[in-house]
Amino acid sequence: MRPVLLSGHERALTQVKYSSDGDLIFTVAKDQIPSVWFSANGERLGSYSGHVGAVWTVDVNPDTTLLATGAADNTMRLWNVKTGKLLKTWEFESSIKRVEFSPDGRQLLGVTERRQNVLPSIMVFDIIPDVDAEQSSEHALRIICDESKATVAGFSYNAKYIIAGHEDGTVTQYDGKTGEYIDNIQAHEEEMQVTDLQWSPDRTYFITSSKDKSAKLITTDDLEVLKTYVTDTPLNSAAIFPVKDYVILGGGQAAMDVTTTSARQGKFEARFYHKIFEDEIGRVRGHFGPLNYVAVDPTGKSYASGGEDGYVRLHHFDRTFFDFMYEVEREAATGRL
Amino acid sequence: MSKAQTTQGRTDWAEDDDDDAITLPPTQINKNKDGTETIISYRLDDQGRKVKTTRRIKKVTVRHTVNPRVAERKQWAKFGVEVNKPKGPTADTTSVGEDIALKLSMNYKAAQQEEKSAIEQKKVSLKETKIKCRICSGEHWTSKCPYKDTMAPEGEPAPGVADDEGSQNEGVGGLGQGGSSYVPPHLRGKAGVTGERMGGGKYDRDDLATLRVTNVSEFAEEGELREIFGRFGHVTRVFLAKDRDTGRAKGFAFISYSDRAEAQRACDKMDGFGYHHLILKVEFAKKST
Repeated sequence: MRPVLLSGHERALTQVKYSSDGDLIFTVAKDQIPSVWFSANGERLGSYSGHVGAVWTVDVNPDTTLLATGAADNTMRLWNVKTGKLLKTWEFESSIKRVEFSPDGRQLLGVTERRQNVLPSIMVFDIIPDVDAEQSSEHALRIICDESKATVAGFSYNAKYIIAGHEDGTVTQYDGKTGEYIDNIQAHEEEMQVTDLQWSPDRTYFITSSKDKSAKLITTDDLEVLKTYVTDTPLNSAAIFPVKDYVILGGGQAAMDVTTTSARQGKFEARFYHKIFEDEIGRVRGHFGPLNYVAVDPTGKSYASGGEDGYVRLHHFDRTFFDFMYEVEREAATGRL
Repeated sequence: MSKAQTTQGRTDWAEDDDDDAITLPPTQINKNKDGTETIISYRLDDQGRKVKTTRRIKKVTVRHTVNPRVAERKQWAKFGVEVNKPKGPTADTTSVGEDIALKLSMNYKAAQQEEKSAIEQKKVSLKETKIKCRICSGEHWTSKCPYKDTMAPEGEPAPGVADDEGSQNEGVGGLGQGGSSYVPPHLRGKAGVTGERMGGGKYDRDDLATLRVTNVSEFAEEGELREIFGRFGHVTRVFLAKDRDTGRAKGFAFISYSDRAEAQRACDKMDGFGYHHLILKVEFAKKST
């Protein structure tokens, strides 16, 4: 497996996203210019210029026409994926730490940061999935997280719920239409921030990662913790592999402590865990800073990781990767034949 | 030299200037019996020399079903900072990293722990080694021995072979104990502590599958070598020694394969192969001691 290194960013990567067909990769970093790449060969297709602060988050709508980004310049922006043209800017009183489209692409949420006199909140906007349409400036819904700041959030299947992960390690379920609070669980250790939330392909369950060195698989409907993946390093990201029962976790020692340790001790590796047996089954090294985000191709051909070191490493899997099976899995597979 | 070849029959170099418009022979395409095609084409290179290219190709149709949306996006024009750049990845933003083996295994954790405990054991064994003075056999370093100026090391006539008991050397790193016994770093014993290399042995390669190629033309390039040697198997590393000032090849290269059998095959086939204007010499790289 020879990774492709994408070195278009000058500063630490913050998020990496695949398009729904897996052919494009969107990357954002602290250097203010989001980029888009072809996943097949690592060629850069273009960039989106306009932000004047570190870009924290990116998402693309399901038909790959609209791109949303959120940044430290207190704006959330909408772009034309094909041309790089800025279509809409929403201004807020604090920076945007997470954006996500609903599964049908008709809603967009943004998670705002806490500031003095500004309560952290989750803002939902209605989106017209057309690049020429005039988008509404008014938010359709606002969920205020007064207890603990939301760090990550996303829409469940059919946008029925909005699930948010918080600074204090809890995961909350809100109603997707009214924004009403429904349920809350202490998924991770107290005061350990939830760093990432990524969905299974059908969005009936999701995976959260946390600074408490673990990742959890949780159901959408009743927030039941199904699986726990324990590691030895703070995690920044976790992704569910679509075609095989694997999960990929990424993390590493916090960026501020990195200079005091060697690359080996920093544990800057992507870790592969078996989704069902919760065992670690492999690691991929390469970054020389913590991994800030791992994203998996929805078609399962590759995965990409963005690191604090400013590189995106794009890995296309070898065939042996897909052949690996546990003894019981193999028995089950042969029994079925 | 090659200039002279293209302008055969001319005697006056001054006439070179106006031969920009050399008429190039048309491209020939010959169909071979075994289904391959031979294409002979001519072009002028950047110095105006005529270059003849002979290619033998076999056409294989590989059908690949691509989502129409994906196919459409492939044709999109570049924009933003990439605007007007040609198609294909550019070297400044896209590069290929070192080969990484991802081998999934059920007992990955256990294997890791074993590795760790091996390191621990080594540490313990290092701790247990006793310090022994070579002069008086006391428990201190030879260089700190109170008798070092008055007595010669016991049982050791010649200074310089200071290294048969490795344990004495750690700490001072094997550097001259009580005399002129400098030992070059690579000759110091195991305990001569070379220090942990960065990247944890990332560059520890399998010397058994590495070939040394000598008599390489100074115009050789790594990419070309990779291509040539890649025919025999999976090349994990190509190292072409280059002159730091001129950037030209120094005349030798190392090629590592992932498998010794492939390396053996490449060695057999490529030894004596004519590359550029020289004949390559290929042999297994000797393990450095």
